[in-house]
Amino acid sequence: MTPLARPALVATGVCALVSVLTACSSSGGSPKTATSSDSKVANVTITAAKGCSVDHDSFAAGGVTFKITNQDATAVTEVELLDGEQIIGEKENVAAGLTGQFAVSVDAGKYTLYCPGANPEKSTITVTGKAAAVDTNLATLLTQATGEYKVYVDRQVGYLLSAVKTLSNAVHGTDLAAAQKAYKLARPFYEKIEPVAETFVSSTQNLDANIDARAGDVPDAQWSGFHRIEKGLFADRSLAGLDHFADKLVTDVTTLRTKTAGLTYKAPDLANGAQELLDEVASSKITGEEERYSHIDILDMANNVEGSQQAFADLQPALALIDSGLAARISTAFGSLTTLLNHYRTGADASGYVLYSTLNDTDRRALAAAVKAVQEPLSQVASKVANA
Amino acid sequence: MSTPSRRFFLGGALGAAGLAAAGGAGFSIARADEPEAQAAGRGTVPFYGAHQAGIATPAQDRLAFAAFDVTSANRDDLRTLLARWAAAASQMAAGLPIGAVETSPDAPPIDTGEADGLDASKLTITVGFGPSLFDHRFGFAPKRPAALADIPALPGDALIEDISNGDLCVQACANDPVVAFHVIRNFARLARGTAVMRWSQLGFGRTSSTSTAQATPRNLLGFKDGTRNIKAESEDEMREFVWVGAETDQPWMKGGSYAVTRRIRMRIESWDTDYLSDQEKVIGRSKTSGAPLTGSGEFDPPELDKRAKDGSHVIDVNAHIALASPLTNANKKILRRGYSFTDGIDQATGLLDAGLFFIAYQQDPRTQFVPIQRKLGQHDLLNEYIQHTSSGVYAVPPGLTGPGDYYGKALFA
Repeated sequence: MTPLARPALVATGVCALVSVLTACSSSGGSPKTATSSDSKVANVTITAAKGCSVDHDSFAAGGVTFKITNQDATAVTEVELLDGEQIIGEKENVAAGLTGQFAVSVDAGKYTLYCPGANPEKSTITVTGKAAAVDTNLATLLTQATGEYKVYVDRQVGYLLSAVKTLSNAVHGTDLAAAQKAYKLARPFYEKIEPVAETFVSSTQNLDANIDARAGDVPDAQWSGFHRIEKGLFADRSLAGLDHFADKLVTDVTTLRTKTAGLTYKAPDLANGAQELLDEVASSKITGEEERYSHIDILDMANNVEGSQQAFADLQPALALIDSGLAARISTAFGSLTTLLNHYRTGADASGYVLYSTLNDTDRRALAAAVKAVQEPLSQVASKVANA
Repeated sequence: MSTPSRRFFLGGALGAAGLAAAGGAGFSIARADEPEAQAAGRGTVPFYGAHQAGIATPAQDRLAFAAFDVTSANRDDLRTLLARWAAAASQMAAGLPIGAVETSPDAPPIDTGEADGLDASKLTITVGFGPSLFDHRFGFAPKRPAALADIPALPGDALIEDISNGDLCVQACANDPVVAFHVIRNFARLARGTAVMRWSQLGFGRTSSTSTAQATPRNLLGFKDGTRNIKAESEDEMREFVWVGAETDQPWMKGGSYAVTRRIRMRIESWDTDYLSDQEKVIGRSKTSGAPLTGSGEFDPPELDKRAKDGSHVIDVNAHIALASPLTNANKKILRRGYSFTDGIDQATGLLDAGLFFIAYQQDPRTQFVPIQRKLGQHDLLNEYIQHTSSGVYAVPPGLTGPGDYYGKALFA
């Protein structure tokens, strides 16, 4: 098990980045006014009648703070600053009656202030001069993010292959308990990177199904992979007849490693991957269908969440520039979810967690709510980091 | 404007059948011609005003109700939620999506989209605050109205806590079930990370008329319900019994009201085998005409003291209408706005899980719903056939003044 280094770094990372900017994103109920001559502050007013307007549209390069007041535009809840198609700053949740602000650091050029749903919804902002050099170039941060994520995925797939080989050896042996333990130790690596495997689905091959199908997902004759082995180990409690499935799992994971080695990622892939991992938790783990014989669903959840959090953490420095409020909200929600999962840790099972079958409906509902609390803001991320 | 939906066509047809059964009790709203009957259920109800819509509004045919618990302890999160709900509600009440369905290909649609192209169908959205919202979390304790007291345990209660109470409630009523559900779904989505849905209830047919322009509908017992309900046209009664006025200890509630909800499960199978005269004795009315047993027309006032030749009361002293009558309740009235519901069958017994989702609006539940129900719960002949399984009480703040105003704005001041 590899410790997750990123999230620990992230907290300090955000603070450092934010300090570069003139202000942090915030919300409130009482509008604050600034003098219109202040070249560092843009006062944005949103009304149903006049749409999205800014008190002046020309700024000196450097830090600019957008202070937003939504007076009465019920269809508008966010304001974005675009450089071409790329969002470089934004504030969400500015519903009618609320105020908010965000800050960006901009160089000379034309930018678009975009208030989706307002009429008119776009206006042009002109920036002149040159900003003091800052090492927080968005494009660089996004490239860094995708590079880091690739390293992470490749490493996990490597661990997966070696853990699956250990499982296969145990299945070929005579010690049921050892094979059960090897199963539990191999699962996390797949659960962290499952959306990547899901990209290798063609009309002739479905690697995800080969590796991870549950009973009934595929015709019985084709059923192989982790859960077929799980059934043998935990339901039938026998190693008999599993050799073939173990061999095939090693073959399929080897194929997965070859294929992932050739992959490169774009920033939205990370965001969507992070989202898909949480969808996995919400759809099949919460119901206990995934590990129906071994009941180690919490281990799966924890690793889905870790994989998701890793992808998010890679994006976080860039996202903190674009929308520090959104980044902070997701980070907090991940924190609550992880705390909840940690609550179920135990040394009594090789999975490291209590068996899912011991949870009651109230526990499951709390987990589901914590997952949804991450999913909703996380679903916004892909569109923010697209077009880089 | 979209063409009338098939869904609405069915609703209109049922309405016409109901009116035919009512036997023309002198109401002028029975429309034989289809287009006008359809038009009656379409269009918008003004969203802004002195009172929230959905109380005095003539009861629509469909209900989607939900209660939420706030999970964030952050006051700004709650304010954002209530402002987003207010903005979204104003959009939906106007028949509009809460935001674009097609925005960025990389982002989820802002509005979930299932009501796209449907008429507003007289949609009203009514938001309330439960007693628990006024605990230590948000600093609202000093602003809790005395009238928002917890409903005490009442005789015959069989309440399930998981489907009772809640920090916030939302009542969405419309003549199209998709339009009503769309509200609850999008509110739940806007709430994610700040509040979670605690329980919800769909209602499929109104059981009260709240306007003199409406015929009295029947509940699942097959009896007319709400004949003597407060009607919105009676402004004196609305002021005396429904709207919060100068009597309140919390000025922010002026123009508001208090909602009490009770999910009342009916023992339908037992009721269906009860003989007609006993059913009529239990209710105190004739089944078909709806007339009190002391009269011949639906709107004849019940004569609770009238005796038969053998000296017994014509309307049993414990008949439902006798116990619920203002005459036996210190002249107190409530505005009922309930809906029939079914949640399928009880898998353990195979019996229908159906009944009345009772909603009542009033100025002060402590002197209106509570004493009335205390008496009913103890003595009502109907108790043999019903069971209260959920309860909620909510302070429903006054209407929003216009765009930019939001639910509970005064609480954050």
